[in-house]
Amino acid sequence: MIAYTGPFWPLFLHVLGAMVLFGAVLAALIAIAAGHRAAGFKALLIAVPAWVLMRGGAEWTYSHGYSAVKDQTWLKLGMNVADGGLIVLLLALGAAYWSQRTSNPRASRTAAALCAVYLALLAVAWLAMTGKWG
Amino acid sequence: MDTYHWLLTLHVTAAFLFVGGSVAAGVLNALAVRAERPSETAALLKLVRKTLPLIFIGVGGTFVFGLWLWHQAHYGIGTAWLWISLVLWAVANALGGIGGQHQEHARKLAEKLAAEGDTPNDELNRILADRKGNAVSWAAGLATLAILALMIGKP
Repeated sequence: MIAYTGPFWPLFLHVLGAMVLFGAVLAALIAIAAGHRAAGFKALLIAVPAWVLMRGGAEWTYSHGYSAVKDQTWLKLGMNVADGGLIVLLLALGAAYWSQRTSNPRASRTAAALCAVYLALLAVAWLAMTGKWG
Repeated sequence: MDTYHWLLTLHVTAAFLFVGGSVAAGVLNALAVRAERPSETAALLKLVRKTLPLIFIGVGGTFVFGLWLWHQAHYGIGTAWLWISLVLWAVANALGGIGGQHQEHARKLAEKLAAEGDTPNDELNRILADRKGNAVSWAAGLATLAILALMIGKP
């Protein structure tokens, strides 16, 4: 971030959205793993607007000169995690909803596993984007 | 990767743990405030503790790697936005600690009430809705947000 010289708001909203997204999914994982299904589902609901903020900020940042480096590994990886990760997030949300409606332990395990996978994907994305891989 | 990018990666990772852990704690606290029974409130406030190791690693990491980056990126000793960030970092931690004590007080009362019949209680509701206690946590969040703004904006 110290090296970034573009406009303030796009990157600020992108990073803020990503951090809130990470925190909301982390809260969901902790709640679901502890058996608090409804709390886990509600925490994942907070993750959805955070994803929109993160993705919107990314697109806005990209429009400020990043198209010149669109073939860089770090940028492609970040974009793929942002877009592909939405599927994982929505599947986690669906599993958490299923879990709180039915109290099915398999649904809880699925929701927790998907949250863990999504947190790992987010970590890979921030490592790649900060370290400027490739 | 060169030394600068390694340090930046570690600093940003610590920032994610600090802010993300704080957000997770805030979400669990907000859900605890809205819980109907004291046992639910107590259980959700207890879960906040699970975020603390991440927050502590983040707090330490942002400080250590932040200072190292200051040196590595050749910013001067008088760089105002870095000094302001350091002050805000200390303020956020102090306020976060005070907010945490308020949550602990609420958790202990909720656990006591859960063991004594688990019915809604006015005193617990008053503590959970206490403006002063909640304002401290919100102020800690705002200080953290201001640090993020300074790191990106570098005024």
